[in-house]
Amino acid sequence: MPNIYIPLLTRVKSVVKENKANDIKTIELEFQKEEDYKNFNYIPGQFAEISIIGKGECPIGIASSPTEEGTIKFTIKRMGTVTSVFHSREEGDVVGVRGPCGNGWPIEEMKGKNIVVIGGGFAFSTLRSLVLYLLDEKYRKDYGDITVIYGNRDPGEVLYQDVLEEWKKRDDIKVVLTIDREAEGWTEKVGFVAPIVKEVAPSADNAVAVVCGPPIMIKTTIAVLEELNFKDDQILNSLEMRMKCGVGKCGRCNIGNKYVCVDGPVFSLAELKKMPSEY
Amino acid sequence: MEEKLLMKDQIAKLYDELAKDYSFFAPIKEKGNIVFKKASNPEEIELDYFNSKVPPKEVLFPKMEVLFEYSLDEKDVEIKERTDLDEKRLIFGIRPCDAHSFVLLENFFDFGEFKDEIFLKKRENTTLIGMGCNSPKSTCFCTSLEGHPFQRDDLDVMLVDLGDKYLVESVTEKGKELVQKLSWLTEATKADVEKAQDLSIQAEESFQTHLDFSNVAKTLDPNFDHPIWEEISEICIGCGTCSFLCPTCTCFDVIDETDEYNNRGRRIRIWDTCQSCQYTLHTSGHNPRNSCIERCRNRILHKFSYYPTNYNLIGCVGCGRCVQLCPVNNDLRTIIEKINKIEDKKEEKISA
Repeated sequence: MPNIYIPLLTRVKSVVKENKANDIKTIELEFQKEEDYKNFNYIPGQFAEISIIGKGECPIGIASSPTEEGTIKFTIKRMGTVTSVFHSREEGDVVGVRGPCGNGWPIEEMKGKNIVVIGGGFAFSTLRSLVLYLLDEKYRKDYGDITVIYGNRDPGEVLYQDVLEEWKKRDDIKVVLTIDREAEGWTEKVGFVAPIVKEVAPSADNAVAVVCGPPIMIKTTIAVLEELNFKDDQILNSLEMRMKCGVGKCGRCNIGNKYVCVDGPVFSLAELKKMPSEY
Repeated sequence: MEEKLLMKDQIAKLYDELAKDYSFFAPIKEKGNIVFKKASNPEEIELDYFNSKVPPKEVLFPKMEVLFEYSLDEKDVEIKERTDLDEKRLIFGIRPCDAHSFVLLENFFDFGEFKDEIFLKKRENTTLIGMGCNSPKSTCFCTSLEGHPFQRDDLDVMLVDLGDKYLVESVTEKGKELVQKLSWLTEATKADVEKAQDLSIQAEESFQTHLDFSNVAKTLDPNFDHPIWEEISEICIGCGTCSFLCPTCTCFDVIDETDEYNNRGRRIRIWDTCQSCQYTLHTSGHNPRNSCIERCRNRILHKFSYYPTNYNLIGCVGCGRCVQLCPVNNDLRTIIEKINKIEDKKEEKISA
């Protein structure tokens, strides 16, 4: 029985500044031991407890896709004690990783369906993972049409511009970017995510909507999806909760009898409606 | 007879013999309270006690515990795992309610894909010599939860206080082996066994608190938004005593303690409580359980609804610590009665 609280050791391979405000960075990690990487089998939508040993640990969604081999990536917004230390990390620094944790997006059940990925702000990280996975040549044939709707406050906040450019070049995915207000040089959509979903979302027939973003965006988007006839089990959410252990022991991430860390973080709207609204 | 006798003046002998093989934890008086601590000599062991203030769960799940140690240098981190989990421990004098809490704790730490090796290994290496409760207090209600002041099931060896001596009964194989090693224990007589049975009946009959838990989970489920939670939480000051001192509560926080001068440290876990406002506070400022109402509700629902749903067990052993030690007397017994009345009201409506 391994000690579930001991992290695997990795090193920072690269750090990418993701936004103009410079409070979001993507950190790429390389495992120190090859076998640790081999055993780190994850799917999109899972998270890991990452730590600066000596400073602390925090749960962060995995931004890389298992199809991007060799390293794993985390997009971290500078918010509290630990995330601030992460922002001062440089190439070669040691980072601890425990995981993968949580259930992840139900990639098996999504097979054969049209997929609408709806993201807002920096919550796009596990959606990046998901879309990269769906677009991989090994898996693309397993899924139907893919539509990505990604909203941000302003152009400077749009994450992952390199992969977005790649996606836009392809003809097997529709990418719709939007910002809240007009901005100079912006040629894509303008408006909140919910009305844009109403405008561009495909039919609910045989579709799954994956929604990730700030609470107000989730709320308004779900209302629109319901109008478009998406049923509760066709709408998937990933929840955030304060966590310490990430493995169902420290207690604090419960919503009713479910622990977000092990039973989630992905829940369908049908599941959420059965749970108390304590999140 | 299978039962043996241990004279009270033989406790030192018992200690001397077992302390060779085990870390011997026992009820010890410290600053006016009983605590379960490693005894350094038999004179420390307090035999005339009701129960400890802090439950003996702290022997296996201490208030502060090292998860691992680390040393740091310029570019490297070295992690040192704990190597002390194989230590053989013996808890002497644990009460049946607290012994039952160990079943719940073991079940919890073993549940799911991730097993808490730190707790489970220690549990595996622990032997429980329990003691029946001859005089339960008015705050005790183990009998309302299928427990009993003389319950043997969760112990390895059961002792019954017969006045000047203890009746010794081994329950598990582990217990049998231990008792066999104590070859100097004398045989019990039929009269001793009968006396123990009488004491058991007397203890059971002396219970003043009888609570009905049969419908609590069913009642709680549809009443998440019931106004009763406002009533129940009204006097709560959120101090967390009820959960810190609960033998079944397991929540913890994780902290890195670093000695910056010597480039080493340890990642520790410390007890935490769902009654604290910071417990669920997100870094963004959002708090899913923002008020005392939600936090009180979570504690009750966790024990009496989520626990039964997830593990098919009630998350309470009826030790009464939360009743005795709550500084504002927010009495769990009253809370359970209030919850049971929700159901009554409904039934009245239906019958009317």
